[in-house]
Amino acid sequence: MADKSFDIHRIRAEIEADAETRRRQDPELARLERDIERAWIDVAPPGAVGSDQGELLLDRADRLALIDVDAPVGERRGVREVKGAIRKATYWYLRYVTDQVNAFSSVLTRLLRRMNERLEDVEHLVGIDRDDRDLLDPPATPSAATAAVIAREAGGGQVVVLSCGDGEVVAALDGAGCAAYGIDRDAVVLLPGVQRGLDLRTGDPQSHLDDLEAGSIDAVVLAGFVETLPTAMLVALIEVALDRVASGGRLIVAVAEPSERSPVEAELRRGRGLSPQTWAHLLDRRGAAVRVVDAPGPRITRLVTASKP
Amino acid sequence: MGCVVENFASHVTNDAEIAAHDFRDHQRFPAPELVIYQMSTGSSVAEYLLDTDAPLVLNYHNITPAQCFDPWEPHVGAELHAARRQLSRLTHHAFAAIADSAYNAAELRELGMEQVVVSPVLWRAPEARQGGAAGSGTRILFVGRVAPNKRFEDLLAMMAVLRTRRPDAVLDLVGGVSSDRYASALRELVVRLDLDDVVHFHGSVDDRTLDQMYTESTVYVSASEHEGFCVPLIEAMSARLPVVARDAAAVPETLGGAGLLVDGPDPTALATAVDRVLSDADLRSCMIELGVARARDFDLTTAEASLVESLRPLLEEV
Repeated sequence: MADKSFDIHRIRAEIEADAETRRRQDPELARLERDIERAWIDVAPPGAVGSDQGELLLDRADRLALIDVDAPVGERRGVREVKGAIRKATYWYLRYVTDQVNAFSSVLTRLLRRMNERLEDVEHLVGIDRDDRDLLDPPATPSAATAAVIAREAGGGQVVVLSCGDGEVVAALDGAGCAAYGIDRDAVVLLPGVQRGLDLRTGDPQSHLDDLEAGSIDAVVLAGFVETLPTAMLVALIEVALDRVASGGRLIVAVAEPSERSPVEAELRRGRGLSPQTWAHLLDRRGAAVRVVDAPGPRITRLVTASKP
Repeated sequence: MGCVVENFASHVTNDAEIAAHDFRDHQRFPAPELVIYQMSTGSSVAEYLLDTDAPLVLNYHNITPAQCFDPWEPHVGAELHAARRQLSRLTHHAFAAIADSAYNAAELRELGMEQVVVSPVLWRAPEARQGGAAGSGTRILFVGRVAPNKRFEDLLAMMAVLRTRRPDAVLDLVGGVSSDRYASALRELVVRLDLDDVVHFHGSVDDRTLDQMYTESTVYVSASEHEGFCVPLIEAMSARLPVVARDAAAVPETLGGAGLLVDGPDPTALATAVDRVLSDADLRSCMIELGVARARDFDLTTAEASLVESLRPLLEEV
């Protein structure tokens, strides 16, 4: 620190990894975070909290749906008597109105709950709600030797590695003269790479891709997370990825062959991830010039490289 | 520059530091060769300017996204939606714009403006302060209006997490209220999270009190999700306070690498960052020095010169 500078990128990564580790190891902290979230949802208007808090919002809708006919009259003598008299005099009318509103709200909230259940059923059927992080190891990551092949295929320029893990591929790309950076959801996994000086950032790979401008990047490497997505999402992802790559740029897919998954992984990841051949087929259908090249493995034994016309 | 300048506003108050006229009296003055319109919200002045032919330069300070206010104060949300529409029309009417951050400039370019220059905000550094060094314990400061885009709820959430590690932590919140409903919900949240004794809403304070608060604090924290520039960050750095802030909008640009950024509304990450800054003396001292140097980038004389240089070619065009 003597030179009055600090590696802000590294410290940020350490903080994010530290926070994530605490969250995983300390059930009390996870509970506290949920309590905080719930407390805010209780006091904020429905539109002010994130749409990802569906269940908590439904609870709130249930509570708000019941309109209380007994308006408070306060404690100040005099005022209380006047308000009380008004309440008594209008009670029959308020009761008549609130009964109807409550009946209507009750139907609406039941309908909301039913719609939510049906939506959850649909999500479950297509598999997008499945979180196998506690059930399975993360998908295969490219070895150093495979990373070297990816670096050769990338062709230079600015490259983003989506699901970068500890940065093996980013390091290889850096070594090949590319301006590479990586994105990974897991702050803990990427920390060693950051400490090696690699540009690795915590974030959702899919959201990062969405946020890039069209034609703004020379190459995109898709790894890891794409093995956990259902087909419909992968088809949409291909559209987005090809849009973000500059003309002449490349999309490189580094995935394991689903048919070679262990029985456990095959069952738990059924319907998710595609084989290199299917990736090649889909990219070819989108007008890219596609090549399938051998990789040294293990697990990832073929890479799909698509050049955008 | 030898210009004769008259200031106009939609609401003129007697206590304004600079003399101004009601814009409706504009006709009583000679026709301007150049009009500079400072835009940060919707205004009847904008409608007036859209109807005139005077050469117009926008001085853009950004507009709070309406979505932030919609659930809390729908009427303010509606005004902000209208302001965005006005901005869009003004960018087609004005021939150039000045923005106080690259973030704001990018917004104008996205709306189709080609001639946009970035010139720092005109900010006067206060007398030398000894914040950070003088503060003791864990005294956290945030300065900003109580508005939904400032995400006070995330600061409160951070406090709930931080106090499990630092029971002595205190959060001082300085700034007037922009949304009563939001302020009321925040007070309710303070009670629910059992933070009554450690979170203090001070409202608006005078400059002397603010100086004192900067001096007595140990770290400045911002969870704001939308800032077009954010002067309090510069004030904090100038006051020798290390800054921890959410990585959003123009905040990273304003900090210029001198503050610690945290992703998204994550109370644990924010609390961890504050804890790290307070427990790592080397980091803290480095952040303070970098912050002071960064604040000097916004020195008033330099900023004024930059603004003059930005305006000179525009004046030559008209």
